[in-house]
Amino acid sequence: MDFTFTADEQAFAAEVRRFLRDRPPSTFAIDGMDAGYGSGANSKAFIRALAERGWIRMCWPRAFGGDERPMFFKLVLLEELARAGAPFGPLPGIWQTADAIIEYGSERLRTEVLPAIARGEASFWQGYSEPDAGSDLLALKTEARRDGDDYVIRGHKIWSSHAGIATHGLIFTRTSREARRSRGFSMFVVPNGTRGMDIRPITSLTGEVYHYEVFLDEVRVPEGLRFGPEGEGFVALLNGLDSDRFWGRFYKAPALERVLHRLVEYANTTRVDGVPLARDAGLRRRLAAMATELAALRWLFYRAACQFRDGAPITYETAVAKVMADETGQKLARLGMDLLGMWAPLRAGSPEAKLDGEISHAYLTSLGHTIAGGTAEVLRTTVATRGLGLPAGAR
Amino acid sequence: MIDFRPSSAQQLLVSTAREYLRRHCPIEPDRRAGLDVIQLWRGMAELGWPGLLISSGVGGSDGTLVDVILLVEELGYAAVPGPFVPSAVAATSLLLAGGARQQRRLTELATGDRIATVALVEERGSFDPAGLTLTAASGRLTGRKLFVGAADLADDLVVVLRDGVVVLPSDRRGIARVPLQAIGGDPLFEVRFDDVEIGADDRLAVTAGAVAAALEAGALARTAEMVGAARRILEMSVEHAKTRVQGGRPIGGHQAIQHACADLVRDVDTARGLLYAAACDASDVAAAKAYASEACLTVARRAHQIFGAISYCAEHPLHMIHKRILAASLDFGDTTLHLERVARAIGLEA
Repeated sequence: MDFTFTADEQAFAAEVRRFLRDRPPSTFAIDGMDAGYGSGANSKAFIRALAERGWIRMCWPRAFGGDERPMFFKLVLLEELARAGAPFGPLPGIWQTADAIIEYGSERLRTEVLPAIARGEASFWQGYSEPDAGSDLLALKTEARRDGDDYVIRGHKIWSSHAGIATHGLIFTRTSREARRSRGFSMFVVPNGTRGMDIRPITSLTGEVYHYEVFLDEVRVPEGLRFGPEGEGFVALLNGLDSDRFWGRFYKAPALERVLHRLVEYANTTRVDGVPLARDAGLRRRLAAMATELAALRWLFYRAACQFRDGAPITYETAVAKVMADETGQKLARLGMDLLGMWAPLRAGSPEAKLDGEISHAYLTSLGHTIAGGTAEVLRTTVATRGLGLPAGAR
Repeated sequence: MIDFRPSSAQQLLVSTAREYLRRHCPIEPDRRAGLDVIQLWRGMAELGWPGLLISSGVGGSDGTLVDVILLVEELGYAAVPGPFVPSAVAATSLLLAGGARQQRRLTELATGDRIATVALVEERGSFDPAGLTLTAASGRLTGRKLFVGAADLADDLVVVLRDGVVVLPSDRRGIARVPLQAIGGDPLFEVRFDDVEIGADDRLAVTAGAVAAALEAGALARTAEMVGAARRILEMSVEHAKTRVQGGRPIGGHQAIQHACADLVRDVDTARGLLYAAACDASDVAAAKAYASEACLTVARRAHQIFGAISYCAEHPLHMIHKRILAASLDFGDTTLHLERVARAIGLEA
């Protein structure tokens, strides 16, 4: 049992902190809104800056242009970026796509898309959900029909994050009707701008655009842009879901710690009738209790990380971690709103706004977190059935 | 390198404990009725457990605090009664800091032939040594200590005073041990000191830092006990959800029960991770104990709901484990004390 970071990991953390000092995150242009997950806003310029340091490809095999650094370097990088509030939004999705290309990718994906990822020039939207296939993903209707060396995709995807500013879609389709409901799916990597792809923004409850819906009308895709064998997309997707829950939330604990520290600072410096808010016994207790929950959340993710690293089987560990990350985030946002009182609803840029309007934004965006990437209900059922062996089926 | 796995020696300690306690410390209240705490203690002593923190040169078994934590987690899992935490963790930690003069006493503690406990809490009801009032400066001690565990079994009382620590034989003239009646957990006592004579040899030469470290070890051990108890409750609840049939199917097929069980897993896993991190010095003991107290009590209460009416009966073990968690959540610092420490640690101005 050991809870210390290796000397290499600590040295790398220091290197990342130096980078963040030299290139302050606030100086990078922002392309898309911060959806509150902890990975900040979408900034292509920031992703390119990470790529220049070689940090996007650092854990890939050498044969694919990587440096074969241990997986924990990614965790170190994510924690440092999240603590600094950096705009690394697309990075986790970029890494996952790269890993999938290295594992399942065609020659074409490996020679065309992977190098673009390494240069920080590619980012991806997930074309999974459909209007009638949300929690029941396998009910999807988008079809890819074989036509010579190509496929022709027809369908309608929705809730695709930052689809309008990404470079490629990961489009999950049905390629055949099979007796088993989980067979017959294939995943494609489709460049934005391909003829027949119509990407339309959905204005979110914050007033900004985060999600898009995508209409696919006879979109022609060469076979070389398919992940793995035809019809076996669901296996790849399922393997991906555990890692999706992990890489989509790992940085939430350090990001929430950053927010908590801002609230502590606010409580220390804000006086009511001459007394700092920090002296309020009830408030002290709530902030302290939240700090313990964030510490607990962080180690919950590190335990899953060790399982990934050691090749130990994952049944429920990423599901339970995602549920806790999202519910804790909502709780912290609520606590922050309570602390700010009458100032709580003011948005960024408003006169009188406190903490840059970050808390009201977090309050709103966090509402989506227990829905996106598997609802808290679906994931609790996963924990109970896949993790504890309770009977599946009856809902 | 971050690693949650116990070493192979630690795994052996844990599996030995699991098997020994399964055979000698039944969880069912009716089978437990005849359990002899002292006999169980002697068996544990033969396995070298009370001497884990003590070096082999003095007769101990050369363990680490992490070993102790893993063992106490098993004690919690089996709901083991007795003086282990007050004697083998808290009092032993303090006596270890007391220098060569304590070696003989430590040898006897290691073999389990001697039992010690720590008396600290006063009228304020707090484990914070900063607010203590009792003193033996005059060479006499008068006053009382509250919520002292294992006082009935202890040969030595390690008494933390405003201005130092004294070690007194529990049968010294002027000392009275008055049992309190709590709803559960190990017996608690009020210890009264009526003009008790304190000699130079009774004084334990330890720093305030050593006192704080011993209290932390006690708090960490109680955290481990809660985590082990919550793990037991989780296992019992899942077993019940799989086997209890209502309306023609196991209740664990219902989403309401499934989701309740998922929340048990979250509470147990998080409390355990924080415990191990704290045992390895990677986070605050205060945070680990405050978090585990809330999480493990929530596990117990939710389990009552999963079990339904049967868990309201005296003959069902759940209430007994629940009461032990409650007692552990208060011993060596309650949630109020530990959350205030966390509040300071995160920078909230006092």
